Amino acid sequence: MAGSFLWRPFPITALTVRQFVGGKTVRVVVALSFIPCLFAGIYLFNSDFATPANFLSDLFLEFPIAPTLLPITVLILATAALGHEVEDRTLPYLTLKPVSRLRIVVEKLTGVLVVAIPAIVAGLLATSLIVAQADAGATLIEAKPLLPVVKAMVIAAVAGTFLIASIFLAVSLVIPRALLAGIVYAFAWESLLGRFLPGIRIVSMRHYIQSVYVSVLGDPLVTIPDATSLRSSLITIFIVSVVAVALATWRLRTMNLE
Amino acid sequence: MTRLERPRWSTAPAGSLPPVPDSDPLPGMIEGRQPSVVFEHVSKWYGDVVAVSDVSFGVAPGVTGLLGPNGAGKSTILKMMAGLLTSSTGSISIHGQPARGRPAAYRRLGLVPEQEQVYPHLTGREFVRLNAILQKLPDPDQATDRAIDVVQMGDAAERRTGGYSKGMRQRIKVAAALVHDPDVLLMDEPLNGTDPVQRAGLITLIRRLGGEGKTVVVSSHVLIEVERFAENILVIVNGKLAAAGDYRAIRDKIDQHDHAVRIRANDPRRLASALIADPATHGIRYEGDGMIVAETSDVRAFYRAIPVVARREGVRLFEVQPVDESLAAVFALLVER
Repeated sequence: MAGSFLWRPFPITALTVRQFVGGKTVRVVVALSFIPCLFAGIYLFNSDFATPANFLSDLFLEFPIAPTLLPITVLILATAALGHEVEDRTLPYLTLKPVSRLRIVVEKLTGVLVVAIPAIVAGLLATSLIVAQADAGATLIEAKPLLPVVKAMVIAAVAGTFLIASIFLAVSLVIPRALLAGIVYAFAWESLLGRFLPGIRIVSMRHYIQSVYVSVLGDPLVTIPDATSLRSSLITIFIVSVVAVALATWRLRTMNLE
Repeated sequence: MTRLERPRWSTAPAGSLPPVPDSDPLPGMIEGRQPSVVFEHVSKWYGDVVAVSDVSFGVAPGVTGLLGPNGAGKSTILKMMAGLLTSSTGSISIHGQPARGRPAAYRRLGLVPEQEQVYPHLTGREFVRLNAILQKLPDPDQATDRAIDVVQMGDAAERRTGGYSKGMRQRIKVAAALVHDPDVLLMDEPLNGTDPVQRAGLITLIRRLGGEGKTVVVSSHVLIEVERFAENILVIVNGKLAAAGDYRAIRDKIDQHDHAVRIRANDPRRLASALIADPATHGIRYEGDGMIVAETSDVRAFYRAIPVVARREGVRLFEVQPVDESLAAVFALLVER
């Protein structure tokens, strides 16, 4: 039984991982996580315009990782974790147990993170490896070490995964078509409006993920407008995630299960 | 002493069923017995639609059948009993405590839901074991083995539930609901989709659990099945409690009405020719696709005759089900009387 060591201490997490791995979800998530590799492959053929480090930074900050791919990859898992239980009417198998609603939500969230983080980090590492093959000497710009960029990407992606997963886990208990709402959010709000309307940044997940990235990287040439400090970004991500978990717990406690 | 009684808050006109004085115990209750489950003036509505209307009853240890046509409100009542739904008005308690909002109470409660869906990627054993672990049992493996044995699913326990037949899914759901040995077991149409052998096994199990002093509430729309395991019956029609008490008295009322039974067989014409000769059969009509509908005024004798006739004629039966509209008419009769 895959992941059998998880079952006794974390049965709902183990169930969630099993649901993802047993279905098509994990394949979609892995495929999305490795899409940046395609961009990296194209870069290999024409790497004159940027150093590997700059290319990776642009790939993460502007397109497509932080604004689009990361939110979509995580929300596919987050909306399925409890949303599918509601749709399939299997949630009573969990709620009709002497288990607190908070534990159900936290274990479900953990299940999302257990699947999402390895897939996303693996995609980032694979992309970085491909980019690293480029002949940096061909550019006119001074080459920078790649490792700090990779480290910043991984930390920002993990923080972003935590934030997005918490929010969309809660959303899936409030909105019937949470995945659709999430995709509209990722494309319309984060990718389009976020670019053109500066005021949106304060309520943009992307902004805090990007802020974590530039703060961890610490390169004065790589920045975003109105970047928040690492400390502020992490505190905001933590508080928003806690509020989302609390909302999901309250919703699970009060909702009617038909 | 049990008796057939009309609930005192019923809007149905008084007839052969005597009104219940205020001093009497809750409908469905046997005098002197402590109820495990109590519904008091419970209503549930969705917008303008009333699903359950001012229902009060008590359920004592033993097996109680929750009987009524499809859409009568049985599932809503069971879900409110399990705490899955809030009632719009009234109160529901199990062992004297509110049914909703107390996860600790689920140590003593098991539910077999109506929907077939279980986690398709888990094997039967994993599904039951998951329930045992969530119930925080000290030895979930042993409890899992015992529950699987009880429903006789040992041979299929290592297969994924996604490949199970309807009847197998029903039985594995029963195992999951029984794994922690609850005092109160709620079963929503547990016999749906089961073959005759599985059905007989489940009925024996339900009776055994009732005999052990557990409170077992089983919903069904088929009286002929309910009477095989339930000593007490609550009849729900249009969201109201139409009758409560001993099944024999209710059965006598229901038996006076004509029944329609839908039968699917490999040779329906041959079966129809043989059945029409049986005195219990009034008439038969063909519905195509191997289906016939037989009308009978003696449903008990008719159900006894079907397997005998089929075996004699060499006809294979695939489905024998009462026609819903016919059932609705039969149950409506209870309210009108």
